[in-house]
Amino acid sequence: MVEIVILIPFLAGIAAFLMPRSSGRPLLPITGAVHLALSLMVWLNRPSPRLSSYFAVTPEGLLSLIVISLLFFLISIYALGYLREGHIRDENIFTGFMLLFLSTMTMVTFSDHIMVMWIAIEATTLTSAPLIFTYRSDASLEATWKYVLVCSVGIAMALLGSVLVTIAMDIGKVDVPVSFSALALHAKSLDALWLKAGFVFILVGYGTKMGLCPMHTWLPDAHSEAPSPASALLSGVLLNCAYLAIFKTNKIMVAAGLEDFSGSILVVFGLLSIMAAATFILKQTEYKRMLAYSSVENMGIIAFGTGIGGLGVYGAILCMIHHSLIKSSLFLTSGNILLGYKTRLIEETGGLIRLMPKTFLSFFGGFAAISGFPPFGIFIGELFIILGAFKTGQYTAVGIFIFGLCVVFAGLANQVMAISFNDRGETEKLPEKADMIFPQYALLLTSVALVLYMPESLSRTISEAIAFIPGGF
Amino acid sequence: MIQLIDGFLSLVLLSILFSLGSGRLTVLFKVIAFQGIAVSIVPLLIGGRHVVFEDILFTLATLLIRGVVIPYSIYLAIKKAAITSKFEPIVDYHASMFAGLLFMVVAALISEKLMLPSMAGGKLLITASIALLAGGMFILMARRNAIAMVLGYIMMENGIYLVGTAFSVRARHIVEFGILLDVLAGVMIMAVILQNIKQRFNDVDTARLTTLKE
Repeated sequence: MVEIVILIPFLAGIAAFLMPRSSGRPLLPITGAVHLALSLMVWLNRPSPRLSSYFAVTPEGLLSLIVISLLFFLISIYALGYLREGHIRDENIFTGFMLLFLSTMTMVTFSDHIMVMWIAIEATTLTSAPLIFTYRSDASLEATWKYVLVCSVGIAMALLGSVLVTIAMDIGKVDVPVSFSALALHAKSLDALWLKAGFVFILVGYGTKMGLCPMHTWLPDAHSEAPSPASALLSGVLLNCAYLAIFKTNKIMVAAGLEDFSGSILVVFGLLSIMAAATFILKQTEYKRMLAYSSVENMGIIAFGTGIGGLGVYGAILCMIHHSLIKSSLFLTSGNILLGYKTRLIEETGGLIRLMPKTFLSFFGGFAAISGFPPFGIFIGELFIILGAFKTGQYTAVGIFIFGLCVVFAGLANQVMAISFNDRGETEKLPEKADMIFPQYALLLTSVALVLYMPESLSRTISEAIAFIPGGF
Repeated sequence: MIQLIDGFLSLVLLSILFSLGSGRLTVLFKVIAFQGIAVSIVPLLIGGRHVVFEDILFTLATLLIRGVVIPYSIYLAIKKAAITSKFEPIVDYHASMFAGLLFMVVAALISEKLMLPSMAGGKLLITASIALLAGGMFILMARRNAIAMVLGYIMMENGIYLVGTAFSVRARHIVEFGILLDVLAGVMIMAVILQNIKQRFNDVDTARLTTLKE
């Protein structure tokens, strides 16, 4: 069952390569729907995988899986419209790699073996690189080169970190499978020094992929150059995949009683990312890059929350889920703006409220949501993180955190206002298609709905995912 | 047996110096091929475990991929795109070689200090892996030529593989093979991007990639 969820998009991707030009289009929503149905079945039944030494169904993995699956389905509906309007040359390659990308991300959510996790995350880099190169421009070539090189070198660090963890096992004479679940159970016997070294390398490695500062350099380029459906996937779910690996490693650290060490490093990386994003958002000239930096900021928030511990981890998980929903909606909306105005520069847009009212609604709603306004989920997530930080007495850190959020809000507000309300003197409306608006609304509404009513099975899964925190939360 | 391994590894150390002191891509990719072959054979020679048929098969596959397919795919990219073999460094060759020597001294000191229990595989194993890692990273930073950068990445990857082998008793071959396939696919994709960069800019100097600077 578990393996089938990985295999179906893989096979569909291969099929898409072989189909002539645009005839593979329907494969995207069909595979998305099948994947969503299968993911829901896995969520409800929690089957055990056939290859149990490599894969496992874990609560944190399930949370990521369901987000990936839901997002892919909605994005694939949008992608149909985008492919119709966007004039992509080799469409079958784009479709094929979108599906392979889904397959590799699904593999990440199930990976339990440390090395299999690495293989899966590196595979996500390889399957998403061609998506960034879709437009074949000089800028997209540069973005792809940077993405592949920076991420491959970064992730090589994570491989080294994983090797160091096995050294910690050797020295501690721990003879169990090299899987996250087994290591968390025997964490106390692992050699602390080598485990710490391993954690640092793994954090730097997967942190590169997650977009934590100062390893985030590839992220704004890749997110802005990829076609919008691909940017939405990169930002909405790929970053979560890297976070999942860090989360699982952190779990081992907490079980080994080293949460102070891992927590303080995560807090520092988190704050650095928030501050760096704030600086770049303030003087940003392109709206897709602005959204990309906002992702850096949100990954910083999530790392910060995880580092704080306790309530903070709960907040981080909420932020992760809602960031995925909201940011992918914003990237899809940016695709509409790009198709309408034919430019990525903020100063060449304007008057969105009059020219594209439906797009404006999702853009402005997304902006309010990502800035942490109620009733959207990021508000609650950030609130929990701040409460968690106060509870553990980390006043300086939370001070910097709140300051960073304020600066980011000021920067975003400035740019969003310019795009929405600046006078352009034109009055003729730009075309807006229903299938390219509905997915964004659905994503934002899901975020609101989850705040108003969280299904019991979801809140139980989140509690299970963070049950490792000492003393509860 | 240990002498044989150490002999191999000292050649690997020399090859790092060689690669840092050279300004020709053809030299670099021969060095990479040699290192690929060396790091694939060393695990088989490490004592203390019973060699079965599966091990030999796996070693042959690794050797083929690390020593032949990966360097050859880069070589093909160079030939196909008619890229000149000579390239200009950011840090010049003498300074680079000196840095290489420094890496080796530091690596030897670290390896001496570690005294790991499973280091029975030869005195130079950890030294060579750290030196490969550092050397690869240095090439990545100190060369602007995109192909040299890819070769630096491969050298780094070889170093990690060598660290892994000292402790690879745990990892099953299938997992190692998965890692190898990822690296291979990564290098193939890099080779495709290299050809595109060459076509677009008529050069593989990364200083030309400036559209996205902030």
